[in-house]
Amino acid sequence: MTFLHPLALVGLVAAAIPALLHLLERRVPPEAEFPPLRYLSEAERQSARRLKLRHLLLLILRTLLIVLIVLAAARPLVPARTGGATVHAPTALAVILDNSASSGVVVDGRPVLDRLRAVARGSLARTAAGDRVWLILADGVARGGVRERLLATVDSAAVSPRRLDLSAAVQQAARLVDAEPLPAREVHVVSDLQRTALGAGRAEVPRGVRVLALAPPPQPPANRGIGTARVTDGAVTVGVVGTPGAAAAAVTVRVRGREVGRALAAPGAAVSIALPPLAPGWWVGEATLDPDELRADDRRVFAWRVAPPARVTAPQDAGPFVAAALAVLADGGKVGIAGVGGGRGPDVSIGERPDGRGGARTNVVIPPADAALVGHVNRALAAGGGPWRFGGPGTPGPIAASSVAGIDGIQVTRRYRLEGGEDSTVVARVNGEPWLVRDPGEGRVLLLGSRLDTAWTALPAAPAFVPFVDALVNRLARGEAPVAEAEGAPRVEFRTRGTDTVGATVYGIDARESELAAAPTALVRRLLGAEVLEDPAFAAARFAGTGRADGSWLLLALALVVAVVELGVATLTR
Amino acid sequence: MTDVQRVDLLDPAEVARLGGIEIVAQGVVEGFLAGIHRSPFRGFSVEFTEHRAYQPGDELRYLDWKMLARSDRLFVKQFEEETNLRAMILVDASRSMAWRGAPARLTKRAYGDRLAAALALILLRQRDATGLITFDEAVREVVPARVKSGQWARLVRGLVRTPDGRGTAAQAALVRLTALLARRGLVVLVSDLLFDRDLALTALRYLRHRGHQVIVVHLMDPAEAELSGPPEVRFRDPESAASVVVRPRELARVYGETVRREIAAWRTACRRHGIAYHHVLTDMPFGMALRLLA
Repeated sequence: MTFLHPLALVGLVAAAIPALLHLLERRVPPEAEFPPLRYLSEAERQSARRLKLRHLLLLILRTLLIVLIVLAAARPLVPARTGGATVHAPTALAVILDNSASSGVVVDGRPVLDRLRAVARGSLARTAAGDRVWLILADGVARGGVRERLLATVDSAAVSPRRLDLSAAVQQAARLVDAEPLPAREVHVVSDLQRTALGAGRAEVPRGVRVLALAPPPQPPANRGIGTARVTDGAVTVGVVGTPGAAAAAVTVRVRGREVGRALAAPGAAVSIALPPLAPGWWVGEATLDPDELRADDRRVFAWRVAPPARVTAPQDAGPFVAAALAVLADGGKVGIAGVGGGRGPDVSIGERPDGRGGARTNVVIPPADAALVGHVNRALAAGGGPWRFGGPGTPGPIAASSVAGIDGIQVTRRYRLEGGEDSTVVARVNGEPWLVRDPGEGRVLLLGSRLDTAWTALPAAPAFVPFVDALVNRLARGEAPVAEAEGAPRVEFRTRGTDTVGATVYGIDARESELAAAPTALVRRLLGAEVLEDPAFAAARFAGTGRADGSWLLLALALVVAVVELGVATLTR
Repeated sequence: MTDVQRVDLLDPAEVARLGGIEIVAQGVVEGFLAGIHRSPFRGFSVEFTEHRAYQPGDELRYLDWKMLARSDRLFVKQFEEETNLRAMILVDASRSMAWRGAPARLTKRAYGDRLAAALALILLRQRDATGLITFDEAVREVVPARVKSGQWARLVRGLVRTPDGRGTAAQAALVRLTALLARRGLVVLVSDLLFDRDLALTALRYLRHRGHQVIVVHLMDPAEAELSGPPEVRFRDPESAASVVVRPRELARVYGETVRREIAAWRTACRRHGIAYHHVLTDMPFGMALRLLA
C-alpha cells in the first residue's frame, strides 16, 4: 500500500493517546465518604469482569479510531478495479496527439481532431502532481511540462500539415517514459490510426511500458486529394491520391488565380494539363479539387521556371554523344547552338577544358580523353579560382543523384575522382565519391568525373541522357536547383542568390495523409504493441495498470462506524 | 388548611430549619395528628383507670360523653393496660448516620433523631412508656421507658447528648438491649442498617422471640440509593479504612440494582420473622414516614 501523504503517518504516534489517557487517569482520584461502601463493593464485584472487558474494548476502539483517522489523513492508495480508480501511482506518461493533416477530416459533422483533443485532454487531466508527462504532436516534438501548460497546448492544437510517423512517435515516447524511475509508464496514442501513419517496422516498446491506442472511427469517409503537382515540358502533371475506388473528381489548375485547365481524375491516377505559353520567369500555380470531408489535401501549389533556351557550344572534344544530344535539344527548341544565327555568345560550353576564349558564362568540363592532359586541365581549373580538380582514377559504380532525374543507378565504368571541393556542391556521386560537382567560383564550372561516352558510362546510351544534358545546360549550368518539395502548409518559398532566383521549394502535405483507411487492430497491436480501445474502455484503462483508489473515504467510513460503536459501548454498557 | 401547609408534610430539611428537635418534633406531631382521626398507637387493655384531657388525635370513641355533658369539657377515658405499652426507640448513632449526600438534606442521624423524637412524642401522648437507646459500636445513651411528664424532654436530651459515633456494632448493642427490655413491648430500630444483616437479624429475632413487637426503620439518603459523582472517585467508608475507586457512571446501574436487592433482602428477612420493615429516604416528609409506622 502506498500513501499520498506518508508524512501524515507520523500521527500514528497519537494512537498511544488512549493508552496514555488510561494511564494518566490512574492518578489519585478525588476522595469522598460514602457509607454504603458494602453495596458499592458488591456492585463492583459483580461488574468487575464486565467493566474490564468494557475498558479493554473502549481502549481498542479508541486506539483503532485514531489509527483509522491518521491512516485516512495519509491518503492510502489501494488497488482498484478498472474504472474504480480515483488516483494512481506516480506515472510517466507520454500522450501522442496525432493532429496530422488527416485529423482534419470531418466525420459526423465534427472534425476528428475534436474527438482526439478531448481524449488527450482526458488523459492529461487525470495526471497528478507526482506524474511526469509529455505531449507529442504531429511535429514529433516531445513537450514536457506541467499539466496545465500541456492542456493549453492540447486545446490550441490545430490540424497540422505535418505527417506523424506513429511507429517512430511511439518508440520515442516509450523511450521517454521508460527512462523515468516511476512505478508506472504509459503511452497514450490518440490518433486516427491511419494505416499509412504506421511505419513498416515495429516500434520498440520496452517491457513495462504500457501503450494504449484509441480506436479509430469505424468507417472513415472516402477521400480524394492532390498528391503531386509537378511541371514538366510545359504541362503540369497532377497526381490524385486518396481512398482506392473513390469516384473521380474534377481537378482544376490555376495560374495566378486564372483557371488554365480542368480534368477528371480518380485516386491513383494522374492527369497532365498543358500550361499556356508564359513569359520567362518563375511562376506559381495551384491544383485544386472540389471540397470534401478532408480539406487539407484538396489544394496543392506548384512552381516552375520559364527560361529561354541556353546557348551552348560544344567543341569536338566533348564527344559525339553530347553533340547528338544538343542537336536533339536544339531541334526541340530547348537549347540554342552558339554561333548559329548570330546574336549573343554561348551561355554554356561543354568540353575538356574551361572555355576561356569563347566567353561562355558556364563551362561544363569533362575529363580529357588523354590522361596526360589532366594536369593541364587542373591548372586551368585552378586558374579559374575553383577548388575542384581531377584526381586519380576512381572505381566503377552506379550514379547516385537526387537532384537530377533519371540518372540514378546508371553504371559508370570509368571515371576520375573529383577532389578539393566541398560536399555541398556535389550534384551526383559514384560509390560515395563526387562524380558531378558544381564549382561555386565565379567561373561557374561544372566538373564531370567521366566523359559522356559509352566507354566511360552507360549514361549516353540511356533514355535519360538527353534530359540529363537538358538539365545540365539549362538548369545545373545556370546554378539553378530543381524545384524541391517539402512537407508543410501549401506555399512556395524561392531561393535566391544575389539578385537571381535560383530555386524554389514547394510545400504541401504528405500524400499519404489522404489515405484515411485505418490500420487493422491486429496490425496496430503488432506494430505498436498497443491495446486498441474504444473511447469508454480507453478512459477506463488509463492508469489502470497502477490504478489506485483513495482508501481514505473507506477508512473514514470505518472510523465513523468505530466511533458509533465506541459511543454505543461507552453509553449503553454503563 | 391544606396538606402542603402541614409541617409534617414539608421537606425535612426545611422543617429542620424551624428550630431544635423539640420544636420540629412537636410541629410534626401536631400536623401528623391533625391529619388522622385516631391515635396510631393504641393500648390493648379495656379496664378504665382515669380520665385525661382530650388531645387532638385521640379517638372519639374514647371520649367521655357524660363528662362532656356535665362539665362541657373534653376528657378521654384511659384504660388499665394502655399505659403498659413500653416502647423503646433504638437510634443508630454510628458515623455512617452522620452522612448526607447533599448539603441541602439532613444527615441520616438528624433525620432519625427528629423522627424518633416525633414518634416518642406521639407515644407519650398516648400515655405509653417510651424509652430511648442510642448506640454505635456500644450503647451510648439509655433513657428508660417512662410515661411520666418530662419524659419526652429526657428523650430529646438523650438524643442531643449522643455524639456521632465511629463504627456500628449493632449486634452488641442489640444484645445489650435485650437485657434492658425485660418487659415485652414495642421496639423501633432507626438505623441505616449498614452492618451485617445476619448478625443484626439474629438480635432482632431474639427480641421478637422475647415477645417484642419490632419495627425497623431503614434510613437511607437518596444519594445512597442512586450512585452519582465525578467521573472517577475514591469512595471511603467513614466507619472503616476501606475505600474503593469507582467510576460512578459505569457502576450506577448495577449499584442501584444491588441497593434494591439489599432492601428487598431486608424486607423479606424481616417479614419472615414478623418484623415490620420500612424503608425511609431522608428526603421523605416526616409525616409520611410516621404514617408508614402507624
